[in-house]
Amino acid sequence: MRRLIDHGFTLLTGMAALAACGLLVGIAAVILERGLPALSWEFVSRAADGFGGGGVVYQIAGTVLLLLTALGVAAPTAIAVALLATVYLDRGRSRRRLTLALYALNGVPSIVFGIVGLAVFVKGLGWGKSWLAGGLVLALMILPTLTVALAERIRAVPRSYRTAASGLGLSRSAVVWSVLLPQSLGGLVSGTLLGLARAAGETAPILFTAAVFAGATLPAGVKESPILALPYHIFVLAQDSFDPAAGAALWGSATVLLALVLSLSIAALPTRLRTHEEARHG
Amino acid sequence: MTRWLTWTLSLLTGVVVLGSALLLLLESLPAWRHSGLGFLTGTRWFFRASEFGAAPMVYGTLVVAVLALGLAAPLAFGAALFTAEVLRGRARLAVKGTIELLAGIPSVVYGLLGVLLLRDWIYRLLSPFDPLSGDTLLTGGVLLAVMILPTVTTLADDSLAGVPAGQRRAARGLGLTRAEVAATVVVPQAAPGLVAALLLGLGRALGETIAVFLVVGRRDNQWPEWLLSPKPIAEAGQTLTTKLGGSEVWIAWGDPLHWGAIVGLALLLLSLVVGLTVTGLRLAPPGGRDA
Repeated sequence: MRRLIDHGFTLLTGMAALAACGLLVGIAAVILERGLPALSWEFVSRAADGFGGGGVVYQIAGTVLLLLTALGVAAPTAIAVALLATVYLDRGRSRRRLTLALYALNGVPSIVFGIVGLAVFVKGLGWGKSWLAGGLVLALMILPTLTVALAERIRAVPRSYRTAASGLGLSRSAVVWSVLLPQSLGGLVSGTLLGLARAAGETAPILFTAAVFAGATLPAGVKESPILALPYHIFVLAQDSFDPAAGAALWGSATVLLALVLSLSIAALPTRLRTHEEARHG
Repeated sequence: MTRWLTWTLSLLTGVVVLGSALLLLLESLPAWRHSGLGFLTGTRWFFRASEFGAAPMVYGTLVVAVLALGLAAPLAFGAALFTAEVLRGRARLAVKGTIELLAGIPSVVYGLLGVLLLRDWIYRLLSPFDPLSGDTLLTGGVLLAVMILPTVTTLADDSLAGVPAGQRRAARGLGLTRAEVAATVVVPQAAPGLVAALLLGLGRALGETIAVFLVVGRRDNQWPEWLLSPKPIAEAGQTLTTKLGGSEVWIAWGDPLHWGAIVGLALLLLSLVVGLTVTGLRLAPPGGRDA
């Protein structure tokens, strides 16, 4: 009887795990099945043309521009906040508070970032929809991911490295630049990949701040310089999914976006899982 | 120099974050002054008549989130027990990694699948009740369940795997089977972490916008005749996030009262989600007790 229950336990939980993995496979299969036929060199290299025709080259360019902006702002800030949390704040209490604040910021719904961005940049500063507004909002959104990943790795640098470096007469900032940061670069890279994967797929933060459906190419300035973006493109087309002409473009765009996002998160996976396990057993 | 830069950038970030929260508070003041607590309890939202009651949207938000959690939790806990208690080493990481990839799929893609597949399935499922369409709170809840599944699974797995292996060996040595070890040794110790996994999953469900937006129907002022009545679940509804993602936001700008009401919804959503997140983190601090 007891053995029977034990086998039942393994079977039931195994089925749950299989179902969860099956969902990923199923979702990927559905999208690829419909999206791959729509993919072609034309599709990724031509501009969109009317509702669902042509390609998505400016949607890709807009998304990449948003990612680069977010990265440019978030990476230096994340280094600063991570150093504060690991080196410059001495008391455990304030460190814990900072960590809690970062996780709370990470939990903020993305649409709230969109509303704040609308109030501050689009209306408050009078930029209108602008790539810079979208990039800044996304930067704030991915900041916790980058910071936490980097701080985890800085903490994992053996204490003896720091003591040895100080013993050689290095100042605290020299220790930071020549020991801590080079040693924890992997954390920053995997955090960045994960953050970018999240930013690339987000629609809600750029809905009111940066993206339009048509009539934009590459921005020339800041004010009134909206961009096209892949997730927003899919969002608009999905609301008009009964139009068969939109169908191919829709699945094609979804495939391109999914490829972008999944390759970023797969690239981050090995380092992340390893850090996770080391943190547990180390 | 490094020290100075670190502090400046960090303080700047802090000012931006606190400033944003303060901005939401200040800009929503007109709505609070106009409706008082009625903003929370009012069941009617007609902006042309300056009536702003958030209760139907809070109701919609809670319904989809609780549905999502109810559907996702058993599957997530089952999968987590399998990865933490049955699988070892590389196999565990492979399954865990696969499930985490699910979390990386953008919400607009989930929304697309909802529009093209799930909506029709739900319509057929509900057909005995003669539904108006497949855009219902139920559709939003089911879609959200799939979306929060990886979050709950991986957090639950973390907290189960955090129970020291020595305790498992000791219990197995006493002759307990794997199922008995899980039920009597591992799960009780991991309980706070499991609750935290649920709370953080709930937080994600409450804050999700785009996917729900595409399948929930976005019908205003849906209020059940009696609180636990199942009828509105099979009908179109509106959540806090779908209201905030809609075009009414553009209309609202320029009218301080209407804009205040919209920002008030954002503030409400923010406090719900951040409250849940912080409670979850208190129960199970990230990276162990001393992080």
